[in-house]
Amino acid sequence: MSASLNQNTQVLPRWPRLAEVFAGEGRAWIFIGKSVLASCVAAWLAMWLRLEQPSTTMITVAIVMHPHSGMVLAKSFYRGIGTLAGSVCGLALMCSFPQQRELFLLSLSLWVALCAGGAMLYRNFMSYGFVLAGYTAAIVALPVVGNPLDVFDSALMRVSEVLLGIVVAGVVSDVVLPERLRMVLRKNARAQFARFIDFARGSTGGAIPRAAMEQAHLEFVRAAVQLEDLRASVIFEDPEARARSTRMRLLNQHYMAASTSFQSLHHLINRLQRRGRDAVADALIALYRPLGVALTPPPAQQHDPVVLMPRLRTCVDALPTQAEALRAGLVDEQSRLEFDTGATLLRRFATELRDFTTVEHALRAGTLHGSVERVHFRRGNDHAGAAVAVLRTFLTMITLSAFWVVSGWPFGASAMLLATIFSGLFAAAPRPFAIVFDMLIGYAAGMAMALVVEFWLLPGSDGFVMLVAVIAPFLMIGPWLGTRPRLAGMGPGFAIGFVYLLALKNPMVYDPVHALNDSIAQMIGVGLTGVAFIFVPAVAGSGWQRARQMRRLREQVVLAATAPLRGLAWRFESVSRDLFQQVAAHAGPDSAESRSLLAWALAVHECGRALIELRRELLDSAASPALQQAVEAAVHRTARLFRHPDMARWQSADHAVQQALDACAQAGVGAVSIRPYLHQLRGALHDDESPMAAYLPPDPLEPAHVA
Amino acid sequence: MLLDIVPREIALSDVLLPGLLPIFVGCLLLLWLLDSLIGRYGLYRFVWHPPLFRLALFACLFGLAGLLLLH
Repeated sequence: MSASLNQNTQVLPRWPRLAEVFAGEGRAWIFIGKSVLASCVAAWLAMWLRLEQPSTTMITVAIVMHPHSGMVLAKSFYRGIGTLAGSVCGLALMCSFPQQRELFLLSLSLWVALCAGGAMLYRNFMSYGFVLAGYTAAIVALPVVGNPLDVFDSALMRVSEVLLGIVVAGVVSDVVLPERLRMVLRKNARAQFARFIDFARGSTGGAIPRAAMEQAHLEFVRAAVQLEDLRASVIFEDPEARARSTRMRLLNQHYMAASTSFQSLHHLINRLQRRGRDAVADALIALYRPLGVALTPPPAQQHDPVVLMPRLRTCVDALPTQAEALRAGLVDEQSRLEFDTGATLLRRFATELRDFTTVEHALRAGTLHGSVERVHFRRGNDHAGAAVAVLRTFLTMITLSAFWVVSGWPFGASAMLLATIFSGLFAAAPRPFAIVFDMLIGYAAGMAMALVVEFWLLPGSDGFVMLVAVIAPFLMIGPWLGTRPRLAGMGPGFAIGFVYLLALKNPMVYDPVHALNDSIAQMIGVGLTGVAFIFVPAVAGSGWQRARQMRRLREQVVLAATAPLRGLAWRFESVSRDLFQQVAAHAGPDSAESRSLLAWALAVHECGRALIELRRELLDSAASPALQQAVEAAVHRTARLFRHPDMARWQSADHAVQQALDACAQAGVGAVSIRPYLHQLRGALHDDESPMAAYLPPDPLEPAHVA
Repeated sequence: MLLDIVPREIALSDVLLPGLLPIFVGCLLLLWLLDSLIGRYGLYRFVWHPPLFRLALFACLFGLAGLLLLH
């Protein structure tokens, strides 16, 4: 459907904005239609199968329906596991403490809290698994808390209802006009490739201002993380994508590696130019030129990996001889060292660019045979955020339990159940205040509608068709709210509130007193979740968390300096980018904070990668013990500087790097491969446009470096 | 039937489960296997609506297995 709409936009260029609006609205209404269809089918099936509470199935549908879920069969797998784990836990709790309500409520609160923490720690589909694990445990155990003998039957019924809801939501969103994420992934991957090639080609002139570099870096990081997010979802949509997934990951890793080398190279050239060492900078730019030529085939083929691949390959092969020729033109030893540093970086960049293009070619040609290196995109997860979510949920649940126990409130179970659902669903929400407020409004509106429907409209309607006719317009409102950016927070609240209070049954039970009492209890449950969000604010996006993540970003250099080398480069590139993206998503654009973040991110990428390459070279080279010691000292001092940056540590790191360079000079031929990396590290430490500028000695005299 | 091997109800530590349940799970596993094979060799490009095809395939598998295997 979206494809045909896109075609319409191409056919009708006369009103492009109108077509755009229709394309967007079309997608929204498809989702609304699918949600209503899933709810109604779920209700009908639950009644047909004579399940006790069709409303449970409908609530489950309301919880798991999501506009961008494609293939849900495999995704439902996680949800199914969550449901089963939750029901087993609910059953076990009920069997362990049948007459100990305090212990029972305490352990149930703990379980729900842990599930909310898990929902926060994992992303996407796994997160829903955790939400459902908490929700099922509560829904299995709470309604029969006064009658423990029924718990097994209740568990069986609730699990059947929840699983039915998951299956219906899965099948409907997969089969009826599915939104194909794969197309989005393909489009994004191609745009990313084209963008990067263009940028590399456009920068062959040499100098890129730091600001432009930072913007480009921001964009490259965003593209890399988005590609990984999409890939992780698409493999659940499409088995063909699953088969391509390993190469997709490799592509992204090559992309990240190439972008790091690229910016390191440009920082180096910029530094040389700023310090007036134009002869070396010009030689490097001359060495760079063939790469630019290789990237410039006839315009129509500029983004075609088939054309680019052989050109890059010849270019990489020719680099050493060209470097040799250009190096001969430089006279003093210092310039030669600087040139070697640049040439090493350039060779690394060219090789990575070639590999990137090769993988892209394999992906486009659909060559999926043969094995490729398995790489993983590591995430920089924040455990503190999850811990805070656990604490918050636990406090909510335990407060509700205490209130329930002390007051002997007959509707305490409803309040607790609602608190369970919402603390899981919104654990990872970025701005809790607004979300809580929206969801309360949505919930209240949903319940009011449910009262109207239940006591004015439903009694007059007869049969399932009439039922659907009555409730469908109201079922539409929830997902409709969900597709409006400004009202999105109310969507789930409305949908769940409406379906829960309506409590469809076959045969239907009309009990206004019960409904009103229940609605009060539910409002209290939702409200208390909101209060808890205010008392224990979400950490996602708070200044405290950003500061922590900044520190973790810097500590990536420590990781690069100390972790085992195997697979380290891949790990470093992906974790540092994921962390960076998480901080960048919450820091306002153009704020002082985001500028400092960008500057640090660039420094971390450059130094961390240089350290990894340095350690690798050190391992391969036959360096003398003294040299080895000096280089290791330099690596560790640099790591220390990044852990707690201050002037004294900067001086110590700089001193150690300088000593290692001197040791290299004495070692002579044995240390040729190590020197460029040390020199690059030294340059990065002395970069007066990076955050290191704050620690530089006041008068950055170029110390006379004796080679 | 020659193949009726799965009893109508299975007692799992005294909890009676319908015999269809293991068949259902087995069919899901089989479907997952077939699905990855089809995807691996890119055969879905001959199919108009892959999810619908998958659902239909599952219906066929489950119907067939249920009719043949249940006692």
